[in-house]
This record gives sequence, structure tokens and C-alpha cells, in this order.
Amino acid sequence: MRIGNRIREWAIERVRRRARIAPPYRLAYRHVFILPTVFGMGFGAMLVFTALGGLNFNNNMALLMVFTLGALTQMTTLLAYRDLAGLDIDAIRAEPVFAGEPAHFRIQLSNDAPHARYSLQAALATEPARACTDLAAGAGGTLELAVPTHVRGWLEPPPFRIETRYPLGMFRAWSWVFPATPALVYPAPARKPPPLPRAAIGRRGQPRVGDGDQVHGLRNYRQGDSLRRVAWRTSARHDTLYTREMESPRDAACELDWNTTQGDTEQRLSVLTAWVLMADHRQIEYRLALPGQPVLSGSGPAHRARCLEALALFGQ
Amino acid sequence: MKMKRQGHPVKGRPVYWVIACLLTALLPQLAAMPAHLALLTLAPLAWRLLAEMRGWKPMYPLLRLAVTVAAMVVLFSTYGNPFGRRTAVSLLALMLSLKLLEMFKIRDARLVASLALFLAATQFLFAQGLGMLAYGVAVMATALVSLTLLARAQAFGAAQSPAPIGAGARRELGYSLRLVAIALPAALALFMFFPRWSSPMWGVPEESLDARSGLSGEMTPGSIQSLFMDDTPAFRVEFSSPVPSQQDLYWRGPVFWNFDGRSWEGSYYGRNIAARARPRPDDASLYYTVLMEPTEQHWMFALDYPAVTPPDSRLTLDYQLMSRKPVTRLRQYEMMSDPDFTDSPTLSATLRDQALRLPDGFNPRTRELMAEWRASAATDAELVRRALAHFNTEPFRYTLNPALLTRHSVDEFLFDTREGFCEHYASAFTVMMRMLDIPARVVTGYQGGWYNEFGDYLLVRQSDAHAWSEVWLPGAGWTRVDPTAAVAPSRIERNAMDALDGRRHAFDFAWVRQVRNGVDWLGRSWNDWVIAFDAARQSRLLSAFGIDNLDARALVVLLALGLSVAAAFIVPVLLRRAPGRRGDPLARSWRRFRRRLTGAGVNLQPSMGPMEVAAAAAGVLPAQANEVHDIAAHYRRLRYAENGGRLDAFTRAVRGFRVNRPKGEHQ
Repeated sequence: MRIGNRIREWAIERVRRRARIAPPYRLAYRHVFILPTVFGMGFGAMLVFTALGGLNFNNNMALLMVFTLGALTQMTTLLAYRDLAGLDIDAIRAEPVFAGEPAHFRIQLSNDAPHARYSLQAALATEPARACTDLAAGAGGTLELAVPTHVRGWLEPPPFRIETRYPLGMFRAWSWVFPATPALVYPAPARKPPPLPRAAIGRRGQPRVGDGDQVHGLRNYRQGDSLRRVAWRTSARHDTLYTREMESPRDAACELDWNTTQGDTEQRLSVLTAWVLMADHRQIEYRLALPGQPVLSGSGPAHRARCLEALALFGQ
Repeated sequence: MKMKRQGHPVKGRPVYWVIACLLTALLPQLAAMPAHLALLTLAPLAWRLLAEMRGWKPMYPLLRLAVTVAAMVVLFSTYGNPFGRRTAVSLLALMLSLKLLEMFKIRDARLVASLALFLAATQFLFAQGLGMLAYGVAVMATALVSLTLLARAQAFGAAQSPAPIGAGARRELGYSLRLVAIALPAALALFMFFPRWSSPMWGVPEESLDARSGLSGEMTPGSIQSLFMDDTPAFRVEFSSPVPSQQDLYWRGPVFWNFDGRSWEGSYYGRNIAARARPRPDDASLYYTVLMEPTEQHWMFALDYPAVTPPDSRLTLDYQLMSRKPVTRLRQYEMMSDPDFTDSPTLSATLRDQALRLPDGFNPRTRELMAEWRASAATDAELVRRALAHFNTEPFRYTLNPALLTRHSVDEFLFDTREGFCEHYASAFTVMMRMLDIPARVVTGYQGGWYNEFGDYLLVRQSDAHAWSEVWLPGAGWTRVDPTAAVAPSRIERNAMDALDGRRHAFDFAWVRQVRNGVDWLGRSWNDWVIAFDAARQSRLLSAFGIDNLDARALVVLLALGLSVAAAFIVPVLLRRAPGRRGDPLARSWRRFRRRLTGAGVNLQPSMGPMEVAAAAAGVLPAQANEVHDIAAHYRRLRYAENGGRLDAFTRAVRGFRVNRPKGEHQ
């Protein structure tokens, strides 16, 4: 088994060097490999056995059937090849994940050919196929593969296989795909992080009007306001509808400082990650200070992504 | 890991298809089995069908084992011979059917579908007619649908998402038949050129296959009767000389000498001693080729008297043409006959004795009448005529459903019942002749035939089976006498079924027979072109081009040629590209440009527009930023501006674009 794996790795490396390709590209003749499956070999053995009987008894109908099936089996290699050749692999990318969660690589495919492509499967290099899809003529589709992650940073995805056993399952045609875009793996957030540090500067921000919990005031109803926020009782006393305006108290920007955390680098990064998530969840402004890097401050999804990326790539 | 993948459960549509496939494959086998075995073979199919519809669980292994053992016991107690071919095939059918009880995995379902094809191949050992062609196609189509659906179930099952299968039975069947169609050219090349074996490598079991209908080695009343209802072909004949008239078409088969009061048997001498004299081929006036259906018997059929013997056959003393081995497959042979040949101008004492022998104590009334005739002291020839006249003038009737005869069969027939068919007349006449001291014997075979103008050949069916007599007359030798003709001349002038007043069965109309004759022509062509093809015919494939003996090496070359031609037809069809797939030349050039940039390490996304591409490229290839920008802008103009310039200039620019890698960096 170990030898088998090493041979396979050697083969993959050869293919990688020969192909020198990265998405987007179109699977060409030289990218597609094909071999019989176990079932295909068994079926072939049955055909040979039947053919020997047919030849012995000069039974022409049995021979006719065996020859038809044999020719047909051979033709399915062409069909399997056609299923893959000319397939466009447009992109392979994965959304960032936290270490320990699987990274979901999405292989975007499109079929430019006049025929449908059936039973396209994707698999990690040495594992059985996991995802499967059909592509109608001219259509696109996605195959998703989960790659386990363990450490933060850029995850270089392993080579993928795109394969098919179409149409009869007697042959497997496959092609190696080498994704060029690595996936970003954030540090795993600490399980039990210390409480979120309060703002060091102690400056209260202006209350934000909008979607908070406390009623701030009433204003005229505008189209698009949620019906749940209509002040029905007040509106009933007047001719027009009123909408409640809410406010959320704005916390002070909190300092997420490397120096306030303890433990080794990874532990500190995990705590900081957990803090970023907590702060983001509470929708407060926060500042991330990492040694040797400019302080990142702000709030919202973009800020969160920036912070997490900085944490993921810290020291790399 | 692999086991786990193969062991994926199978449900729904593929299961129904596999059951349908196995049922189709079983059909001829079921028809050939005793009813209780057929039901036993069908039961597991029914169980699996119900299990699928009702969601039953697989049977307990112990129960399954018990069912299997019980089924085996029934099978082997039904068939006496455990090594017979039919037993073996029945065993295969039953085992395959029982396999359904545990068919809950994709792997098992595949096994069943594949072995159903094997089962179909074994069925061709028993019959190879046109009907079996339809059968073979049906089994292949259903098996291919099953395998296709199973492959999809496996692919989508591994993805653990529901398989979008359900295109409808007609489309699925159509798909499978298309698969068969694209395989046909190569299959035909293999069929014609794959080197055949001239003789079997291992033995053909001598055991008779199924009880075939046909003439047998002994004649008891009613033995031919069953054949009259049988319209299957016995043999077909192509004449290269003029076709003789209907009443001269006596196809000689088994000859009977020994009568025990009830049934007729052949003579040891007659069967085992070779003919003393035979017509010289130069004298033969009838030239024809016989294509004979398998009979499992030794007899081959020819018109009187054969001047040649086909390979592996012999001509006996009483001019029966016998094959050395039973005819187990379609057999074709060339014949020449001389109808004017004199059989045995002199008769040896031994043979004369045999041709006169009668058992004692049978048919006293006939003996009395014959003694009377003999006393009137006529010549032998006159006595023959008198006997025929007797059949003609007395109220004898030709019928296929005569009353049963008991001990004194000839007496009862001549004096009491006076009805019967050729067997009765030939038997009674021969006994009468022997009582008159005239050497006589019974000959069975076929009489007449139906001339198929469509295919220009004569078709002789089982229903043309006939029995007649031969008497030995001094000077003339053995002379054919057909007493049936005296009673029902139409039987001889036309054929057996026309000789009857009514129809034989409810669907016996003239036009039905016409249709059947058309079908027979098809069947005959099928036999001639496909079934009779063998090593000998294969070696003569190119005789039209003056190459008479193709050896294996030449065949392999031809096979390679044939397969190449087949591939030349099929591969372009399969791998054809879209008419305009390469499409818009502008888009093609742009794609090419993008591929170059990607190859140089620029990270391009499909969503990027031309200017974004230029910007991305500028980051990686700052030295060529201007060039890239120009090309992108050119593309944008050509694509979107009303008059954006010349396409060929753009194409040239793309073609001339080269990525200049910084030195020392290796991609």
C-alpha cells in the first residue's frame, strides 16, 4: 500500500511537471488518463470466457453477442474520454476557514461542448470520489471537495482528480487538477478565551441610530420599514403610520493587544482570533495590535476579514 | 476503502431494470423447463420485486441458504443427468435467480446484469433462429440500461446526493440501443475476421439437447403424427438444376426393414454396410445444396439416389445418407442425385429374407386375403397395382386423427377403421407385400416442400414428413411405391396440410402461411449468412478476389483493417466537435491571450473584464504593461465600439505577444 502510494505520488508529480497548468484551462487530450475498473476487468474476463465457448462450439450467435459487447466496452473508453476532454475548469477556490474545519474547495466547471457530460466526479488525490455532478451541453456547474485543515496560514490544496466512470462503469477516465489558488486558514479560535478587554481609552462613541434594542424615537413610516417596527398603538391614534427608531449603545473601541495575551504564539493567536469574533459579534469597534504590524482598527465584515487574515499569516 | 465504495446499497430504478433484464434473459430457459422448475426460478424475481416495492429487508442468510439448498434438490431431482447441458444451464439460471435474494448492493446488481448476458449466450446453444436474435438484443439492451444506471447510482451514491436518474424507460432503452449501434461495425469486423477454430478444442457433449422434433430411428404408429403440426423448417434446398415436380420430391431418410407387429426398425445391415454401387456423378441430373437444421440425429436428407457423399458422412446399403456425428448445428452440403439409378438389380438371399420376414401370429385376416390374391397368380407388379387399387377403390380415408389400433394393427386398419395417414398406409402396404412374398421395406423422410419464389429455394418443413414403401421387383430393383398417393393424391401433389379438408388450427389461413413463408425467407438468410458461418467459410471469404485460403495471419491483418475502418466511421461521430465551437475568432484570440497571461503566472478570474486583465497583468509583468494594455484596449474596441478596427491586426498582435520572463526566474 505504501509503495502504491509512493508510485501514485511519483505519477502525480510527473503529471504536474508535464502539464504545467493551472485553472482556468481546458482538459486536453494529454490530460486525460483511462484504465479499466475492477468491474470492467471482471466483465472482460466474462467476455473472454464466453468467446472461448462460442469459438469452441462455433456458436455464431454467442460470438456475435460477445463481439458486440466487446466492441461496445471498447467504445465506452471513447465515451468516458469524451466526458472529460474539452471540459473547462474555470476556477478552484475556497472560502477562508478556521484551522480544524475542512476547507471547501469549489471546482467551477463549464461545458462548452455540444453534448452533455455525465457523472463527473471529483476526489482528493488518493481518496475515493466524493462529489458528483452532470453538466448539460453549454452549462456550468460546481464540484465541492472538503480538505481537512490543521494549521493556520495558506493551505496549498492537494492535487484533485476529476474522474468519470460513465457510461457503464467499466472504465475510469480521470485527469489531475492542480489548484493554483491556496485557501486561507485562520487560526482556530480559543475554546475558552479570557473575557473581551474593555476599551483602554474609555471614550464612548455616539449612539448609533438604527437597528439596536432600545427605542430611540418615532418617525414617519417609510416604504421598506419592517412591519414589526411599526408603532401600531401610536399609529392608531393618528392618521399616519409611525415607525419606531431604535438605538444600540455603542461600546468603546476595544483594544485586542498581543501583549495582553499569554502563552505561546499559537495560543495567543487563538485567543486574539476568539476576541475578534466576539467583538465582531457584538458589533463593536475594535483595534488589533500585533507586534511589528500596524494597528488595524474598525468594525464590520471587511475589518474582521482583515484582522483574521493578519492573524492567519502572522509570522509567515 | 474500495470495498466500502463497491458495497454501496442499490435501490429503486436500477433494481427494477436488473430484474427486467434477468427476466428477459430467462425467457427461453423458462419455456424449456418443466413448469414447477420455471415457477421456482421465477419466485426469487417476484420476491425481490416485492421487496423493492414494499421496502423489505434482505432475507436472513440462514433462510436464504435453506431456500437455495431446497431449490438445488428440486433441480437435481427433476433432471436425471446432473452433467447434461440443459441441467447446467438450468442450474445457472436458478442460481442467478436466487442471487436476487441478496442483491442489495451495487456490486451484486452488476454481477446479476453481467451474468444475465452470459446466460443469454448459453441459450444460443439450444437455438439460434431469428427469434433468438431479438432475444439477444433485448437482453443486451436491458443489461446495458441496468449497468448504466448502476454506474450512475455508484457515482452519485458516493457523493451522497440523490442521483438525478429518471430519464424514462424509453430514453434509457434508446440510449442503450445507440450504444449497441456504435459497437456494430467493429463487432461485424470481429465476427468476420476473428480467426475461428476449425474443430472444437474440447468435446461437444453427445447427450441430446432438448427433444428435437424430427424423424427418428424407429417408426411406431403416430410417431410422424406429431410432426404434421410442426411448421418449423427441416431443411432448405437450393437447386442449380431445374426443380423436379412436387410428386418427385421424395427426401429419403430412415429406412425400416424389421417389423415386430407394432413398430418398424432399421436393419443392421442396412445401417452399417456401405452402398455396393452408387450412381456415377456424370449420370446425376439433379444438383442442389441442402441447408439442414440441427436434428441431433445422424440422418441427412437427399433425393434418390445420391451420387456423392458430403464430407464426414456415408451412404448405407439402403441408400440412407448418414452423418458420422449427430447433426448438432446447421449443416450445409452439396448434393447430386440420379433419379434413374437402379437400386440392387439383384437381391442377396440374406436381404431378401430380411425384406420378407414378418412376426408370426399377427394380422390373420390380411394374411388370408393376401393368400387369395396370390392364388389369382398375377405377377409381382400386378399385385402391387392391385394393392394400390384396393386402397383407391375401397372407402379409405386420409386423416391425421385416426382411430387407435391394437394388436392386429394391419387387420384393423384394412378391414375396420380404414382411416389413417402415410404411416398407416406405408406400414399396411409393406406388410401386405411381404405376405405376397414380395420383398418390401418402409422408407421415411420428407415429401415435397414449399417453393419460396422470393428466395428461390425449396423449404421442407417438419410437417412435410412422410412414409412410403419400396418393393423389390425383378429387373427394376427397389421401386418406390407410395400407397398414400392412392388414397389422397393431393397429399403428394401439394402437401400434407392441403390434403386435409379443414384447417389444422384456428389461425391456419392462406395469408398467414404467406407471411410465415416471408419470415422463413428471412430465417433462411439469417441461417445462411450468419449461423452457418464457420472456419471453412471464413477461409473462403475472399475467394471472390481469387484468394481461396485465408490463414490465421491473413485474418488477423484483415481484422486489424476491419477494426480500423469501423473506428474511422465511429470515432469521428463520437468525438465530433460543436459546429461552431471554436466560434468567434475574436473570442478565440482573446482566450489565447488570456491563456498566455495565465501561463505567465497572472492570476485571472473568469469574471475579469479586459481592463481588469490588463491591470492584473501589469502587476506581474510590469515590463510589458503597455503592450498588454494595448491589446486589452484593442479587444475592448473590437468587442464594443461601433467600428473598432481590424480583427486581423488584433489576431497578429496576440500571436506576436510573448511573455518576457525576468532572467533567472523559472516560472
